[in-house]
Amino acid sequence: MSQAFRAKFTRSGWRGLVLPGLLLLLWQWASHQGDVAAYIFVPLPKIGSDIVHLTATGELWVNLKVSLLRTCEGLAIGVTLGILTGALMALSRLADRLIGPLYHALRQVPLLGLVPLLALWFGGDETSKLLVVSLAAFYPTVLSAYEGIRQADRRYLEVGHLLRLGPADVFAQVLLPSAVPSIFTGIAQALAFSWLASMGAELLFTLGPGIGAMLLNAETAGSMETVIICVMTIALIGYAMNAAFRALGRFLMPWAAAS
Amino acid sequence: MSLFGNLCRILGLGLLACMLALPAVAAQPAVVRIIGIAGVQNGKLLYTGTPAVVQKQGWLESELGKRHIRLEWVSVSSASVASQVNEALAKKAGDFAAYGDLPSIIANASGISTKLIVPGGSLANTYLMVPWNSTAKSIRDLKGKRIALHRGRPWEYGFGKLLAQNGLANRDFRILNLNPQAGAAAVSTGSADAYFTTSNAYTLQDKKVARIIWSSKGESADWKMHAELWGTTDFVKRYPEITQLVATAFIRAAYWSSHPEHLDTYIEYAGRLGTRGVDTRREIEGNKISWKDRWSPLFDAELRKHYAGVNQYAAGAGLIARPVDVNALFAPQFAERALDELNLRSYWITSGDAR
Amino acid sequence: MTVATRIEGSVVRTARPAPPKSARPFHASLLDAPWIGLISPLLLLFAWWWVTKAGLFSPQLLVSPGQVLDTAIDLAQGGELADHVGVSLVRLFTGFAAGAVLGIAFGALIALSNTAERYTAPLFQVLRQLPTVALIPMFILIFGVGETFKVFIVMKATFFVVALATYDGIRNIPKGYFDVGRLYQLPVGLRFSAILFPATVPALLTGIRIGLSRSWLVLVGAELLAAESGIGQMMEMSRQIFRMDVVMVGVILTGLIGFLLDRSLRLLEWWLMRWRRA
Repeated sequence: MSQAFRAKFTRSGWRGLVLPGLLLLLWQWASHQGDVAAYIFVPLPKIGSDIVHLTATGELWVNLKVSLLRTCEGLAIGVTLGILTGALMALSRLADRLIGPLYHALRQVPLLGLVPLLALWFGGDETSKLLVVSLAAFYPTVLSAYEGIRQADRRYLEVGHLLRLGPADVFAQVLLPSAVPSIFTGIAQALAFSWLASMGAELLFTLGPGIGAMLLNAETAGSMETVIICVMTIALIGYAMNAAFRALGRFLMPWAAAS
Repeated sequence: MSLFGNLCRILGLGLLACMLALPAVAAQPAVVRIIGIAGVQNGKLLYTGTPAVVQKQGWLESELGKRHIRLEWVSVSSASVASQVNEALAKKAGDFAAYGDLPSIIANASGISTKLIVPGGSLANTYLMVPWNSTAKSIRDLKGKRIALHRGRPWEYGFGKLLAQNGLANRDFRILNLNPQAGAAAVSTGSADAYFTTSNAYTLQDKKVARIIWSSKGESADWKMHAELWGTTDFVKRYPEITQLVATAFIRAAYWSSHPEHLDTYIEYAGRLGTRGVDTRREIEGNKISWKDRWSPLFDAELRKHYAGVNQYAAGAGLIARPVDVNALFAPQFAERALDELNLRSYWITSGDAR
Repeated sequence: MTVATRIEGSVVRTARPAPPKSARPFHASLLDAPWIGLISPLLLLFAWWWVTKAGLFSPQLLVSPGQVLDTAIDLAQGGELADHVGVSLVRLFTGFAAGAVLGIAFGALIALSNTAERYTAPLFQVLRQLPTVALIPMFILIFGVGETFKVFIVMKATFFVVALATYDGIRNIPKGYFDVGRLYQLPVGLRFSAILFPATVPALLTGIRIGLSRSWLVLVGAELLAAESGIGQMMEMSRQIFRMDVVMVGVILTGLIGFLLDRSLRLLEWWLMRWRRA
């Protein structure tokens, strides 16, 4: 996902708000087209008052906190294991040929499709949800670590060879640093996937606090305004997390900004 | 005798003692796990229904505590209770479960053996809804149309009975197998011509997006959804006295719940799942069976007929491969003894046999 | 020294010649054999079979491979499997085609026109973050519960991935290419077909491949939640009636289909990119 595109976002200024503004007006018009329409396109004032209500009772924040915490935990676990596995596969051809096929096979199974099995084996509580989120973070990280290490610029490796560096040093001082940009991109992807996986897990495992669960309960109770608020919150938080992470990337690796 | 020899002797005796004591130790479990439906409110996990009452009464916990047994509650969410409970039972993560009739038949059909310990409950109703502007007045008007029904769920049996009552069958309709949320959305936009569901019907009616044209309120208990106490055959056979304790606790809870003055608290517990109080109240009112009678834990002919019916329906609808032995599912001895112990023999019998 | 040798075979080509074949350890050449890739899946299969045979878990908990195979054959013979898979794939390809076409068009538009980009960028970024699975209730309300909303779900997932890939692809074309076009005074049409298009294709194909994988994941998820047919629905229904063997058939099948889709597109990519290898 490109830097240039994001930079343009801030330069958009007021122009970027035109389309969203138009959509909101369209929405408000639609909500006046009868009862069924009002059920789907909840009038904006009603959404507004619900936002106030949810933040006042703290319900939104409590659920958000749980979801965010789970995302971070899953991310940490998935990313750590992912980097280790990816590095292992990149450095050892044996590991590559043994683990690789399993990884590619497992990656293709839709995570949400695994839910019935995970619910059966690990129960429907936090453990299983964490597992789903960790898996979601694991997949892209492995790939990015693998690619990052394998594509280490050979000139650097030659320098390492010239300096007669041992394998451990080559890894620590040449391969790993040059893989960092790729790994970082992988983690950014993992972050996005973890957040989505956290939502998906809540929607399918159903029990326990969280924004997804809040959405499900609101849907059952027919309060579509809460559903809309949850959906928008999920989108905005996702966007904020990604933007923050990329800002972190630019800060930590200014030399990689050009790539 | 050498030191080594003496050591062997002591060890041998010790081992023998342990082996003899083992049966006594194994005569009771370390923990009793009951699976119940719970919801999250303000970050806290709260149970609903009879488990909530049992928790509030605290009797079971203290009785088990006297025997140094821990009481543990295993929670499942209200969405898709059946699969969650059956999965928990398959994993041996629970010894008892307060859940439904059709799911228990499905569990037994797939090899998870359970026994019905205490029948009776709030007996939830089912409702047939149509879009707000629909002209359909009964199920007959909907012949050939699309009905949103989540299959494999407890209310499918009630749906089957409604069809049978009107001389119809599944093939006379286009059944859309959608979960309750999707079904609600479908009927409100006219994407489905009808929707068969439980008490969330009232919410949709209040929002004027769908209308209830039929409910099971006027029918016998056979039509309603049962959520009763089931125990794994394994546990029941190994620890009958503990099973008795649990049975007695549940009948105490049923007795408490059956009193009209406790209705408000009961409705409050139901609200923990997010259902509105007014909906629960409307769901309870206007039923042919009185509130008290619904809680009757008697293993009478009506109950047996119900389970035979569910069993037959499930086999016929392809939900199970072949019918189970329904009579083997009943373990009435615990409820019977509990009624005697609590002196409640006459409490429910005199309410008539309209169970 | 050993690290350099290991990497030598793949990416890096140093000035040093490879050691004579006899000096390389035996297992190094063994690892190149194509069948090595099958070892771990087969080991997993064997472990699965052995665990069920040993009865370590109750049969409801872990279904044996034999049982899964039997069930799969039953379903296939009954025609159920073909029905469900067929329905799912039709949804996938319809939504994917629509989403990809729109994605390419939109991506190209915002890549080539700064104004368009400035107006649409913020909305695009936010909409992209909307979790598809959570949108299902709203989609059903708007599009009804038929095939339309599922196709739209797939479209939504595909559109954003492909649009972004197209944008990146076009934006990353070196300026030099366009300069060459201008130098030779090529007509606009030729500039498109001879410069823009071929240069974009690699990134585009990767984007399409990723988009297809994501769409498949999203479609199965959506079918689990709200469908009356399709492979996701088959898995959900089986879960309700506690037929874990059917669930396993579904899981393996969805993985297999995802794998095949990915591989086929990789093959297409490889074939189309043959000019790159020349």
